[in-house]
Amino acid sequence: MSLRSPLGRVLGLGAAKQGVHHWWAQRLTSVALLPLSVWFVVSLLALPALDHATVVAWLRQGSTALLLILFLLVAAWHSQLGVRVVVEDYVHGNGVRTLTLVLLTFVHVLAAAAGVFAVLRVAFGVTA
Amino acid sequence: MAEFRLPANSRPVKGITHPAPPGVREARTVRIYRFSPDSGENPRIDTFTLDTKSCGPMVLDALIQIKAVTDSTLTFRRSCREGICGSCAMNINGINRLACTTHMHDLKGDVRIYPLPHMPVVKDLVPDLTTFYAQYASVKPWLQATTPPPPDSERLQSKEEEERIDRPAACILCACCSTACPSYWWNSDRFLGPAALLAAYRWIIDSRDEATGERLDALEDPFRLYRCHTIMNCTDVCPKDLNPARAIAEIKKMLVERQG
Repeated sequence: MSLRSPLGRVLGLGAAKQGVHHWWAQRLTSVALLPLSVWFVVSLLALPALDHATVVAWLRQGSTALLLILFLLVAAWHSQLGVRVVVEDYVHGNGVRTLTLVLLTFVHVLAAAAGVFAVLRVAFGVTA
Repeated sequence: MAEFRLPANSRPVKGITHPAPPGVREARTVRIYRFSPDSGENPRIDTFTLDTKSCGPMVLDALIQIKAVTDSTLTFRRSCREGICGSCAMNINGINRLACTTHMHDLKGDVRIYPLPHMPVVKDLVPDLTTFYAQYASVKPWLQATTPPPPDSERLQSKEEEERIDRPAACILCACCSTACPSYWWNSDRFLGPAALLAAYRWIIDSRDEATGERLDALEDPFRLYRCHTIMNCTDVCPKDLNPARAIAEIKKMLVERQG
């Protein structure tokens, strides 16, 4: 039981003085994802065939690799921003929340790095 | 984690069914949430039969009739009976609204009356709004200015400046909006909720106020402000037809605007 005043409890530790960047980045990444995801779907559909050789040849074009890396990075960033909001909404308790956020950030960075690595590997001709 | 089910001792059970009063001309079934902190029992849903012919047209009239005729222990807040005090906000047929401005004949089927959702219940239809009021107080809902008022007059506003605060200032603090907001349900300890944010906005855009920057500083927080995900239940339920969702969006825009 706490005898702290209701106003004291509401004021808590004060305002974090941040949150604008997160909010703005979420909008910015979603705007960037619009053309990037349309490009991704349209260019895949525009391929003459979807066999391994055709897709590898497509990936080896400089513009494809560049746009695909951008798409992967922006998607991972956007997802990280969004998942963070979900965790903050539903995971209560400072310890559990911080741990979940740290783990999910690692997962997103790993996913982005793995994606970029995979694109570069194909683009620069190391065939599996 | 967020609570998706009520705690075991808060789940309502079937309550008392009161017999219809003799000589009913037009019967209407009203189910009301009952809870007494002294009984140690779970909340229950009592069923009343009302004669709408001998009762006023509003849900508040029905509650007053039930309290006067059938069960004097029924507890609810009410004062002005004309939608300006905000006391009789409750959840009627699934929607937060004022009992005094809700017509019985606008409701379909049985009338189901619960207290405002996800708030501690003091008794029956009376929620504990202590935190809600503290959140309102936390946005400092009063004029702050360093410039003294003119010695011979009040602080003047143009007509356009007044029109900007006219609607937001009409909030009656009934708590319908905040208690309809899922973000407020899950995080009311840190999210200020639509009502307090609408009040903050009303002072942020007041042309006479000089604490705009400090007010925005105090809101720039992932929880206080940014728990709002534009769900817009607040605007949907507001019995005064105000738009807290828009006010919050405007605050977010101003915070971006001052970045550069």
